[in-house]
Amino acid sequence: MAICKMKSKVSDEIPSSSMADIAFLLLIFFLVTTVFPRDTGLRVVLPEEAEEVQVSQRNVLHLQVQPNGVVEVRYGESEDLQQVPASQVQSIWRTNVAENPNLIAAVKTHPDAPHSAMIAVLDALQLAGAERISLQLLEET
Amino acid sequence: MGLKGGGFERKSKASGEIPSSSMADIAFLLLIFFMVTTVFRAEAARPIEWPSAGATEQIDEKRDNILYLWLERNGDIWINDRLVPMADVATVIGPRWLESGQRLIISLRADASVPYRFVDLVQEQLKRSGAVYVVFATELERRMTGARR
Repeated sequence: MAICKMKSKVSDEIPSSSMADIAFLLLIFFLVTTVFPRDTGLRVVLPEEAEEVQVSQRNVLHLQVQPNGVVEVRYGESEDLQQVPASQVQSIWRTNVAENPNLIAAVKTHPDAPHSAMIAVLDALQLAGAERISLQLLEET
Repeated sequence: MGLKGGGFERKSKASGEIPSSSMADIAFLLLIFFMVTTVFRAEAARPIEWPSAGATEQIDEKRDNILYLWLERNGDIWINDRLVPMADVATVIGPRWLESGQRLIISLRADASVPYRFVDLVQEQLKRSGAVYVVFATELERRMTGARR
C-alpha cells in the first residue's frame, strides 16, 4: 500500500537529552524522601556491679511508684508518706534540691507498676535537672 | 615574545562546551551508588506501645554502637530478631560490650505497660554484662514541647 511506504518525518529515536534531568530528578527525590530513624530516649548510666555506695539517709528523697501510678514521696529518715501524682515530682524535686544540693533521688518502683509510671517519674526528675538518680525495685512488705 | 599578541589569537579547535551527553550516565551512576550503599537496619520492629517523656533526647552515637533490646508486654525479650531468655541477656550482651570498646549503648525499648519487675531484671542483667549506658527509649511528649525545646 502506498501509505506504508511513506517515510515518517518523526525521528524513531528516543530523545536522550532529557535523560540527565530525569536521572537527577530521581536522585534528588530519593535524597529528600529518605528518612533515617532517629533514636530517642532517656539516658541513664547504671551503676557497675557490686558498686554499693553508702549515702546518708538525710540526702535521699524516696520516690515510691505504686502500680496505679501514684508516687509516694518520703524524705530521708522520716516515715510519713506524701502521695502525689507523677506530674508534681518535678516541682517537689526543685524545692528539695534547692535546700540540699547533695540530694539523691531513689526511685523505687513496685514490681507490678507499668514501665510508663517509672518513665513518668524519671522524666520529671530529668526535666528538673536531677543527675543523681537511683532506680530500684520496691520491696513488697 | 617573538609571537604577536603572545600567541593568544590562535583559535582552539576544541569545543568550548562541556559535553553533556554523558551527564545521564553520571546521574544514574550516582543514583545507583546511593541505592547500593544505603544500609537499612534489617531488624524488624516489635509491636510495642512507646512510653512518652518530655525530657526525651537524641542519641548521638554511631548506629553500630547502639543495641536495641525489645521488652514486650508479657516480658519477652528480643535482641536482633531473636527471643532471648531473661537469664541469657548478660551472656548475649557481654561480648558486644567488649567488642564496641565499652561504648555500647543499650536502647531499652520497653512497652509502656510492661510490669516493672521485668525492667528491673533486665537492668540486673545489663549490670552483670557490664553495659552501663542505657537509654529508655521514649517518644517526645508533644504537649510538653513548650517546656524545653
